[in-house]
Amino acid sequence: MFDLDLRSRKPIYEQLVDKFKELIINDVLQIGEQLPSVRTLAGQLTINPNTIQKAYRELEMQGYIYSIKGKGSFVNESPDAANSEKLKRIKKDLEKLLSEALYLGMTVKELHAFILEIEKSVGGGHIDD
Amino acid sequence: MIEVKNVSKTLDNMDVLTNVNFAVKRGSIYGLLGSNGAGKTTLLKLVTGILLQDEGDILISHQSVFENPPVKNRIVFIADTLYYFPQYTVKQMANFYRSVYSTWDEKRYEKLKDVFEIDESKKVQKFSKGMQRQVAFWLSFSAMPEILVLDEPIDGLDPVMRRKIKNLIVQDVADRGMTVLISSHNLREIEDICDHIGILHKGEMILEKDLDDLKSDIHKIQVAFKGKTPENLFGNLRVLYKEERGSVLLCIVAGDQEMLTEHFTRSNPVIYDMLPLTLEEIFIYEMGDAGYAIKNILV
Repeated sequence: MFDLDLRSRKPIYEQLVDKFKELIINDVLQIGEQLPSVRTLAGQLTINPNTIQKAYRELEMQGYIYSIKGKGSFVNESPDAANSEKLKRIKKDLEKLLSEALYLGMTVKELHAFILEIEKSVGGGHIDD
Repeated sequence: MIEVKNVSKTLDNMDVLTNVNFAVKRGSIYGLLGSNGAGKTTLLKLVTGILLQDEGDILISHQSVFENPPVKNRIVFIADTLYYFPQYTVKQMANFYRSVYSTWDEKRYEKLKDVFEIDESKKVQKFSKGMQRQVAFWLSFSAMPEILVLDEPIDGLDPVMRRKIKNLIVQDVADRGMTVLISSHNLREIEDICDHIGILHKGEMILEKDLDDLKSDIHKIQVAFKGKTPENLFGNLRVLYKEERGSVLLCIVAGDQEMLTEHFTRSNPVIYDMLPLTLEEIFIYEMGDAGYAIKNILV
């Protein structure tokens, strides 16, 4: 399904969370689709099942997936609440980064051009979220 | 599942373990780390009921282990030096294990034959070190233990076999909630499968934590300032290590990521990098803090 970088400094559960988010955001995993069970994934990736459980819990808390007892975990419909929560966090991070960039001498114009560039690479700017 | 409470042990008038406490939950993979001679093997021998502690309690599912066969039936221990009966073949060893462990699963034994590809009619003691270790794992996995205790398990195994063994461990943990206690000083090897870590030093447990918490609780930071480094930059942070490399200050600091970022950016650094630590680095710096530092030896 995917591979993890076991040599990376980033904790494995964080890598898992990020990988799944990426898959969900890019519609590789579609709404209602079942995520691999902890057992399967542990066997496939040779990582601790508790780590996977932790990643799934985190994803559930952030609203990306939901779980049904005895059935497994599924991709959530539209994580509105989670999105706004996430947006708040991103804004805070951006604020930090932008003020740093400004401090280091980047101009507003440069930043603007930069944003447009990113928008293009993400996909034309027509993301209906 | 495993509870070790205030355990002390003296061997040959040496205090090997003093007041050790830790607990391993069911279905967890616990990594026991430690400097050479820290008492890891002794601790494992106590947990498996081979030795009796002088003080304290060792409980497995609330029962004491020492001289308690029903509890021991649920534990398999792979020691760092393996022992096989002289002249015994793999098959004969398997028969012995079957007679000892009531949980022995013959089907599993047959299935694992394909994994290890070892001739079961050969004498075990004639095998190489790595092969003998494979036999140990083969027999252990067939015994279907609730608790698997491993002392330096990956020594002498090739990378493919390591991966296979780890995969089998992880599957057993996922499938039947097996509890695993691993001691090692090869940190890279256990970093990817453990969820809890305990660091033992000179017979004392100096650190015991969830691995992810541990990793997110300690950071490597590189900062540089225009001009001079501000005085009192660290405030009351716990600094485990610091080093100046030219104008860049490299330090290992304990604390939460956000809190640290806020703390450091307040003094407006020109460069600010934060990296999570590898387990190896955590080990080295925590041990350094406990007075077991790396000293470059000049001969």
